[in-house]
Amino acid sequence: MDILLFRAALSLYLVSCLGYLSSLFARRVLVAKYAGWGLLAALVVHTLAFGARCLATHQSPLVDVYAALSFFAWVLAAVYLVFQVRTKTRVLGVLVAPAVVILMMAASAGLGGAVALPPILQGHLVSAHIVLAVIGEACLALVGLAGAMYLLQDRLIRKKRATRLLRLLPPLEDLDRINHLGLLWGFPLLTLGVIAGALWARTVWGTHWPGDPKLVWTLLAWALYGLLLHQRLALGWKGRRMAVGALTAIGVLLAALAATGLFFQSVHTFG
Amino acid sequence: MHLVLIGMNHRTAPLDIRERLSLSCGEEGRPLAELLAIPGVDEAFYLNTCNRVEVLAGTGTPDAALAGLRDFVLRHGNLSGEMLERCLYLYRDEAAVRHLFRVTASLDSLVMGEPQILGQVKDAYRRSAEANAAGAILNRVLHHAFRTAKRVRTETAIAANAVSVSFAAVELAKKIFGDLRGKTGLLVGAGEMSELAARHLLGQGVGRIVIANRTLVRAQELAAALDGEAVGFERLPECLEAADIVIASTGSPGYVVTAEMVGRALHRRRNRLLFLVDIAVPRDVEPAAARIDNVYLYNIDDLQGIVDANLAQRREEARKAEGIIDAEVANYLEWFNTLEVVPTIVSLREKVDAILAGELERSHAWMQHLREADRDNITILVHAVVNKILHDPITGLKEESQDHAARPYVAALRRLFHLEN
Repeated sequence: MDILLFRAALSLYLVSCLGYLSSLFARRVLVAKYAGWGLLAALVVHTLAFGARCLATHQSPLVDVYAALSFFAWVLAAVYLVFQVRTKTRVLGVLVAPAVVILMMAASAGLGGAVALPPILQGHLVSAHIVLAVIGEACLALVGLAGAMYLLQDRLIRKKRATRLLRLLPPLEDLDRINHLGLLWGFPLLTLGVIAGALWARTVWGTHWPGDPKLVWTLLAWALYGLLLHQRLALGWKGRRMAVGALTAIGVLLAALAATGLFFQSVHTFG
Repeated sequence: MHLVLIGMNHRTAPLDIRERLSLSCGEEGRPLAELLAIPGVDEAFYLNTCNRVEVLAGTGTPDAALAGLRDFVLRHGNLSGEMLERCLYLYRDEAAVRHLFRVTASLDSLVMGEPQILGQVKDAYRRSAEANAAGAILNRVLHHAFRTAKRVRTETAIAANAVSVSFAAVELAKKIFGDLRGKTGLLVGAGEMSELAARHLLGQGVGRIVIANRTLVRAQELAAALDGEAVGFERLPECLEAADIVIASTGSPGYVVTAEMVGRALHRRRNRLLFLVDIAVPRDVEPAAARIDNVYLYNIDDLQGIVDANLAQRREEARKAEGIIDAEVANYLEWFNTLEVVPTIVSLREKVDAILAGELERSHAWMQHLREADRDNITILVHAVVNKILHDPITGLKEESQDHAARPYVAALRRLFHLEN
């Protein structure tokens, strides 16, 4: 049942993604509007998929890296929808929806996989660690995407040519607001996620900081985000500089993700 | 039934002639009563804007109606016949429909794609309806024109982008700030151009307008007109700190707003975005200001470049719009052309139905012995036979009407069936 729902959600994400992309070419707001509803529908079905899995296994659905990817996609879509409603800019969906689809495809590789958690990954702290970190990272991913769009739009406005792309991209101030809100939510959540992870590491390995490449990269990104938030709130950094900062930081965060399993052996490599 | 159209616009007639004609015709419903009094004119529509005067009429006798309409224009234009003939255009049926559709869709406007004309045509139609001057023909053709105009607006980008410098500036401001509500506009110099731009900004909901001018009196005058605040030039630096959109248009020979001033203002405003529009020649804002982060500077040439590009795009979109007009005209004519055969079809049906009713009435007596169900069946049968027989000639007539070839068939039918005129 949960697999069926997962597949349905993936298809809906795909439909919404195609909707967002075609809205770029059709020049119709209506298409993007429908794509937004499609994304919401996908999100609901995806939620049901998680629920069905919980019911079937009687435990947290976050058992492996695939489930975490799926959860990441879910959070990204949800956070984006909240932003879309709050900032009334739909164009960011053109970047978010494909990202969600890619995450879901990666996650589908683990469909119907492990149902039993290894004992080391059991406990409320683990769930808290994953949930907080993933929601925080989704906010920060959105900040990164908004940053990329900001730099593009900034360049287009400075080039002083009325191109279609310029009209398509959202206003600079809206993108900057996404930067502000995303940092304001993402950074504290990531912080809490890291703390939960550290506390749990102490109970398992007896140390808060197991020497783990993912941890090193994440802490580096975390420090960068902290610095950015400080510059924004205390020094009034806005606009271009924040966009550049957001892109740099998301690069480091992506390196942290890549560090898991791809290049290094680490405590974050599972199954 | 036929449609005829007579009119003059900004291309065919100079302003003073259009003016004289529209003044003499008078306002509101007055010309409509006069138009309906013209022999042959059954329905009338009168459109009068600053760029055109148009009369559209539904008529059974197009030649008489056109002659009457021409007299009407000659009388009101008070000009030599030859002069007026040169300014006038006359259209019938398909050409009249096409012209009306193009006007309503703003393809015939001075600024192609401008949105006002649709509202003006709607107002004129409302006056026709109120004066009982619009019947079946005009109702149908005008509603079709409104639908076509809407299609053109939604399916092409003909009205999408700014085609004036001040509107282009407002559009850019929206791409930087999104919502302009609550933003502050600063006018540096109190000229006519900056007043126009300020009115556009206010129209978009800008919260506050500050006017800085070398002579404070002039600034105060404009501030009163725009409901803004007036300040002298010495307070410019602090104004730059509070403003989001700056429009500079002084006659000063040197830079009024220097890059250094902008840099300091940006620091004090905690890097909030700043949009500088310099429409002065020679320029008011030091070009180096554009290199500062979060500052966007456009001068008059930049804006004109955007306007030119948008105009070119509108011409491109107009080609698409003409395609839509073609399709809609054809669509309308399909209905319009059947009009010449409809009265004949109606009389034919009426005659046959009368015969049928009479015969059934006469047979009533000998059918008494039948059961009621059988009597009903006989009635149904007779109706079915008649409908089958009439089906082919009626469809054939409608088909011929699409090629304007129905006239001999109409005449033949009327004669053979002794249909009344």
